[in-house]
Amino acid sequence: MFLTRSEYDRGVNTFSPEGRLFQVEYAMEAIKLGSTTVGICTPKGVVLGVEKRVQSPLLESSSIEKIMEIDRHLGCAMSGLTADARTMIDHARVTSQMHAFTYDEQIGVESCTQAVCDLALRFGESVDDDDALMSRPFGVALLIAGHDERGPQLYHTDPSGTFVRYDAKAIGSGSDAAQQSLQDAYHKQMTLAEAYTLTLKTLKQVMEEKLDENNVQLAQVTADGGFEILNEAELKAAIESLPAERVVV
Amino acid sequence: MALFAASAQQEAVAAPIQHRFDPYEDNGGTILSIAGADFSVIAGDTRQSQGYNIQTRYARKVWQLTDKVVLATNGFAADGANFVKKVKQRLEWYENAHQKQMSIKSIARMIQTMLYAKRFFPYYVYNILGGIEEDGTGAVYSFDPVGSYEREACRAAGAAQSLIQPFLDNQIYFRNQTFPADQPKPIPGNLPLGTVLGLVIDSFTSATERHIEVGDGLEMYVVMAKGRAVDDLTSKGALPEGVVVEELGPLGEGGGERTFLVRRTLKRD
Amino acid sequence: MAATGVAPNNIGFDFSNYARNEFLGARLGAQAKTTSTGTTIVGLKYGGGDSGDEEGICLGADTRATGGPIVADKNCEKIHYLTPHIRCCGAGTAADTEYVTNLISSNLELHSLSQGRQVRVVTAMTMLKQYLYRYQGHVGAYLVVGGVDSTGPQLFTVHAHGSTDKLPYVTMGSGSLAAMAVFESAYKEHLTKAEAIALVARAIRAGVFNDLGSGSNVDVSVITKAGTETLRNYETPNERGIKSRDYKFRRGTTAWLKENVRDLVVSEEVKVTMGAGKAQQGTTDRPVAVGAGPGGEEGMDLDA
Repeated sequence: MFLTRSEYDRGVNTFSPEGRLFQVEYAMEAIKLGSTTVGICTPKGVVLGVEKRVQSPLLESSSIEKIMEIDRHLGCAMSGLTADARTMIDHARVTSQMHAFTYDEQIGVESCTQAVCDLALRFGESVDDDDALMSRPFGVALLIAGHDERGPQLYHTDPSGTFVRYDAKAIGSGSDAAQQSLQDAYHKQMTLAEAYTLTLKTLKQVMEEKLDENNVQLAQVTADGGFEILNEAELKAAIESLPAERVVV
Repeated sequence: MALFAASAQQEAVAAPIQHRFDPYEDNGGTILSIAGADFSVIAGDTRQSQGYNIQTRYARKVWQLTDKVVLATNGFAADGANFVKKVKQRLEWYENAHQKQMSIKSIARMIQTMLYAKRFFPYYVYNILGGIEEDGTGAVYSFDPVGSYEREACRAAGAAQSLIQPFLDNQIYFRNQTFPADQPKPIPGNLPLGTVLGLVIDSFTSATERHIEVGDGLEMYVVMAKGRAVDDLTSKGALPEGVVVEELGPLGEGGGERTFLVRRTLKRD
Repeated sequence: MAATGVAPNNIGFDFSNYARNEFLGARLGAQAKTTSTGTTIVGLKYGGGDSGDEEGICLGADTRATGGPIVADKNCEKIHYLTPHIRCCGAGTAADTEYVTNLISSNLELHSLSQGRQVRVVTAMTMLKQYLYRYQGHVGAYLVVGGVDSTGPQLFTVHAHGSTDKLPYVTMGSGSLAAMAVFESAYKEHLTKAEAIALVARAIRAGVFNDLGSGSNVDVSVITKAGTETLRNYETPNERGIKSRDYKFRRGTTAWLKENVRDLVVSEEVKVTMGAGKAQQGTTDRPVAVGAGPGGEEGMDLDA
C-alpha cells in the first residue's frame, strides 16, 4: 500500500504531477468490483439488465434493487457501491419532478443525466459554508435509460462526472467481456425481444452462477409504457426464449 | 340629525399618522390576444401614463420571446419590464441547459412559478402569452399577477379590459348570439386572420374613444404556424389603410413559424 | 305648514342622506362617482393698443367629460352662458359647474332687471365666489369668467373654495399646465382677434393632446362690446374613425323565452254632449289603430 502509492493519494482534490486525480480513478476501480450491468438502446426503447449476486441461499433476492425508476420515462441501472447510487437517484428524481413542476413537461434524458453528473464532483475540502459537500467521490456508475422527444436514449455516467451516450453499454465486473459481446451482436434495428435476448446472453456469459429469474433483473423504457421492471413471469419468459445452450468444452 | 352630529364629531378626532410603503403604480394601457386555428395575434397599445400625464406615447408592452411565443404585459410598467427581462433570462438558461427553445406550454408554467414565487410581494403585472402550441394550433394563455393561469381562445387585460372583454365574449365566444337550427354555434378560436385583426383594431380604436389611458399607437404581433400561407397578411390590400406590416426574423434556428409585427396609429387625445 | 322631508323655506342643499351615504360608503368601500370635466379651459384678453381690433375676451374649452378613466361625454359644452356678454368656462364636477353657472345666470338676469342695466363681470364673479365660499369647496366648480361690460373687457378665475384672480390670461382644469405653457411662451398684449383665437385654440389643443383628462374638440367664445360670438367645435382634431368590421347582427340573434304582444292603444268612445267638443261640421271621426302590436292594423312593417 505505502510502497506503490504516492502522497497524491490522499487529497481528494489534489492532482498528481501527471495530472491525475487518484481518488477519482480509484472510485472507478470500485465499479469494476460491482456486478455486471447491461443497457441496450433500440428504436422501440431501452433495455436494462443486471446480475444480482445472491451470496446466500437465505438472502431474499427480491430485496436486491439494482434497477430503479427515476421518473415515468426514466430508469436507471447501477454497478459499484450501490448505496451511493441512492444519493444520485434521489437527486435525479427531485430534479425530474422540479422540471415537470416548473415547465409542465418531462425532463430530457440528457438533462437528467447532466443533473446527476453535476453532483459527482461535489467532494473535497469544504469551502465556506458549503454544507452539501461530500467527503469522497461516488463509487458507482449508472446506466440511465430514458425516452423523450429525441427518442430512446442510453447514457453512462462514472464517478468523474463524465457522461457518454451509448447504443449498448456494459459496466461492472464483467464489463470488458460483456462490452465485446455487445459490440459483436448489436445492430441499430434491434427489436425489444432481441435486446432482451442479447442482454441475457451477455449477462449469462459473464456470470459465474447459472442464470435464472432470481439472479437477474430486466427493465425497459418505452414511449408508451415508460419505465417498467419485468415481473417474474415476463422475466421467466425472456429467459426461456433464450436459444438452447450449446455445450462449451 | 343626532346620527349626523355624532359622526361629524367622530371625524374630528385626529387619526394616528400612518406611514406606508407604496411601491406600485398603474401605468394604464391595454393588451389583448386572440388565438386562431393556426395563428395567434397578441396586441397592445403603446401609451404609458401616470395619472393624467402621458409618460411616453411609445412604450413597448408586447415582447417576442421565442420563434413561436410572444408575451404581452400590462399594469405597472417597471415591474413588467423587469419581469420580461427575467423571463428572457430563464429562456436563455433553459436553451443552454436543454438545447431547445421552450414550448409555449412550458413558458406558461414557468411564468406561473415565477409569479407565484412573489406571492406576497407580487409583480403588479397582468400577462397574456400568445403563440403556437407544439401541435401547431394557435394558443393564448392569460395570467393574474400571482400566477393563476388558463389557456383560452381570447383575453383582454388592462385599463380597458372591462370595455373589450365583453365585446370579445360576444364576437369570439359568440355569447348572447343564437344561431339558426341548421347552423351550429361555431367553435371559438377558428376565425380567419382578417376577421381577427379587424376585431383587434376595432377593440383598440373603440377603447381609445372611451378610455383616457388607451391610445397613441397599436402593435399587433401575429405568429403563424409552420407551413401556413401568409398571403392573408402580406398580400396587397389584405389589411386596412394605414396599417404597416413587418416580418421579424427568427430568434433561434427557426422552426418554420413566422412572426409579423403589424402597426397602426391610434388617436392621441 | 306640516313638517315634510325638506322644510319648504329651507333653501339650499338637503343633507338628510349624508349619514346614510357615509355609512354605505364605508360598508361598500366606495363613494358615489361624480362626472368630472377633467378639463382644459382658458381665457385671455386681446385687442386694443395698436392691434387694430377692439378689446375683447377670448375663452376656450375642450369637450371631454370623464367619470374616472372613462370618457362620459366626447362633446360636452364647458363654456356656459351667464349673460349675453358674459360667459363662464367650468372645470371640476360637471354637475356643480352646470348648476352653479345656471343659478348665477338666473340671479344675474334678476339683478339686471332690478337695476335696469347690464350687469358687470365683477358682479358675476362676486356672486359666484360668495356662493362657492359658502360651501367651503364642497361645490367643486373651478371657473374662468370672462366678458365685456361698461368698464371694458374683464377676465377672472374662481376656485371652488371662493378665491379669485384677475389676470390678462388664465387657464384652469387638469390641462391648465399644458395650456399655460402655451400662453407663457406666446401670449402678448394687444393680440388681434384672429391671433387671440388661434392662441386660445393652440392652448386648448395642448391640453387635449397632453392631458388625459382633456380631449376631443376645441370650443371657443369671443366676447366684445357688441356681444358674444360662439364658435362651438371651432376645431375637431379627433374625429371618430371608421370601424373596420360591420357589426350588424342577423335577425333572430337575440333569443327570447316568450313573446307577448299587447295593445298599447286603447280605443274609447266618448260621447260629447255639450261645449267645444261637440261634433263639428266639416270634421270626420276616424278610428284609432287597435290591431295587434305597435302600429296595429295600420300595418307598420316590423321587418322594415
